[in-house]
Amino acid sequence: MHADKQEDRATLAARYFDGQTSRLYHVTLSVRDGMAVLAGDIERSCPLGELHVSERSSHAVRKVSFPDGAYLEIADQAAFNDLLHDTGHRDGWVVRLQQSWRGALLATVATVLALWLSYQYLLPVVAKGVAYAIPQSVERQLGQGVLDFLDKHVFEASKLAGARQQALRQQFARLATPGNSTPEHRIVFRKSKIGPNAFALPSGDIVLTDEMVALMPDDEAIMGVLAHELGHLQQRHLTRRLIQTSAVGAGAALLFGDVSTVVATLPPLLLDLKYSRDVEREADDYAITMLRQNGIALEHLAQVFVALGKLDQGTPYLSSHPASAERVERIRAAQR
Amino acid sequence: MDFDTNNTTPKREAITFSATGSEYFRIWIVNLLLSIVTLGIYSAWAKVRRNRYFYSSTHLAGSSFEYHGNAVAILKGRIAAVVLIGGYNIALRVSPIVGLLMFVLLAAILPWLVWKSLQFKLYNTSYRGIRFGFGGSAKEAYKYFLWLPILNTFTAGLMTPFLHQRLKRFQHTQSRFGSSQFSFDATVGSFYKTYLLFFALLLGGLLVLIFVVFGSVFASFAAHANDATKVGSLLFAIGALYLWMFTVLPLFLTMIQNLIWNHTRLQQHQFQSQLTWGRTTFIMLTNLLGIVVTLGLFSPFAHVRWLKYRLEATSMLVHGSLDEFVAATGQQVSATGEGMADLLDFDLSM
Repeated sequence: MHADKQEDRATLAARYFDGQTSRLYHVTLSVRDGMAVLAGDIERSCPLGELHVSERSSHAVRKVSFPDGAYLEIADQAAFNDLLHDTGHRDGWVVRLQQSWRGALLATVATVLALWLSYQYLLPVVAKGVAYAIPQSVERQLGQGVLDFLDKHVFEASKLAGARQQALRQQFARLATPGNSTPEHRIVFRKSKIGPNAFALPSGDIVLTDEMVALMPDDEAIMGVLAHELGHLQQRHLTRRLIQTSAVGAGAALLFGDVSTVVATLPPLLLDLKYSRDVEREADDYAITMLRQNGIALEHLAQVFVALGKLDQGTPYLSSHPASAERVERIRAAQR
Repeated sequence: MDFDTNNTTPKREAITFSATGSEYFRIWIVNLLLSIVTLGIYSAWAKVRRNRYFYSSTHLAGSSFEYHGNAVAILKGRIAAVVLIGGYNIALRVSPIVGLLMFVLLAAILPWLVWKSLQFKLYNTSYRGIRFGFGGSAKEAYKYFLWLPILNTFTAGLMTPFLHQRLKRFQHTQSRFGSSQFSFDATVGSFYKTYLLFFALLLGGLLVLIFVVFGSVFASFAAHANDATKVGSLLFAIGALYLWMFTVLPLFLTMIQNLIWNHTRLQQHQFQSQLTWGRTTFIMLTNLLGIVVTLGLFSPFAHVRWLKYRLEATSMLVHGSLDEFVAATGQQVSATGEGMADLLDFDLSM
């Protein structure tokens, strides 16, 4: 053996395990001529190229594994890093990123940006694509049962005269619809315990409560409400929303699921409100186009929100709908 | 050093955990970013990195643990899981009958997957160069992960403590370190005692809350029907309810974890777990608060804190030497179950 004094400075203590028994061997590790050399309780040498070194870390133990499953544990991080450096070993870029605070800061900014971009732009586009790709028959089945459920718990049969219901249905059926297809729909009247309301279900049912009919100043306003709901159906809003909230929910669960499911349920709830306000604006635009096509003054639609605006005194924050005043403003602006 | 081979007083070896929140934060954020930009594909590699870091930071008697899981295998498991869970969710919405079929299919393969996941997890863990392992048979897996839980639903959950004991017994007696078997001797009675104590406290607290807090809230409602503060007091009452839940749940976690580990042995070596209610509650509540306040950025710190506390409360009473374990003959395990258990958030640690 021709021990080279110069390289002896790089001898460091290690713990060796042979991979067959749990016995601990105290050894020293040094590198000579491209070989890792162990001395002490066990003598062994191995070409550097056949060894595997675990990733760099400041607080975890570093490990060097031999091809046969034996390995070394090295506690002295600094000395080991010097030794590795001398052998020309380089950490992967992910590890270097993880070990530097600048890299971590950069990753934080990039993560926030990526999350925001995908929430703002990617998710709506994907959800829209998926919603339109789902056959209408499947979508229909999605919403089936919802009306039955509501009938059992929230609604009673409408007190509106049958002739009046029929007249409103026919009046709406005579209107031309924007775009080249009209979604299949059915207008149903219900008396509700929750006051004036109108909504569309993915099943194609547009529900109008007696209270809503009573609240509207004239039949053209009712047509405006129906056109708005038809807009929801045409643009598959409910299905899109379902997809979006599930995606946000899955994302939040991945982010926070480790620690608390309570925390993980909050973001989808809050983020859904923003989408839902966007969706209301889209449906308003559909109603505007439809009324225009049929020569109905937009002021009738504006009156819908004036009437609804008198009802709600809720906070504008955390609201699922845009403020009524804002919507009236938008409709009147479209009129000009 | 052979003079103490007949010594009967055991040596206590505490588990130590050297990971820090700040180092894990850097690993976590880089993993998160890469997982997002690769649309989740990288998450399998992220899992391997995270586990390697945590395992290598866990020390017992001066040696650390090691994780050997393979990212490609985990990715395959995750893809299978996404297909199955996604398929189930879609099927359920399309029609109840298709949903039911998917449910039966899932129920039929889930126990097998959970069993495989246990095998994968343990096989890919080593200490002092010796791998852990998990035995058991498919028949047992179906018994403990399917038939008994189904039976339990017919007893209105009264069998839960029994089921929990049987599950843990299965898990801990089938686990091995190299060729050495773990053993488990907690009784069904002790599980019932723990559950009963938990429920008694939970209900007692709830009754007090209902009478004291809600009583005063309703009283204030009746007194000033249009007072703006009534919403505030209602929120306060709901907050108190949550606080109570977050206080009692840690008690249960503490008791059950101590019960399980204080009755687990590896050959002649006895485990000890000394979690305390106060500390567990404090860590859980402050973690929750930290995560909410920082919009999630605190979660890696929270994770390390909680893990550190749980691990360091555990120790091993070593009788003799830890030098004499021998590796078992080789086995290979697929990761399909592992990815699945991951996505279902099936925590097998408790």
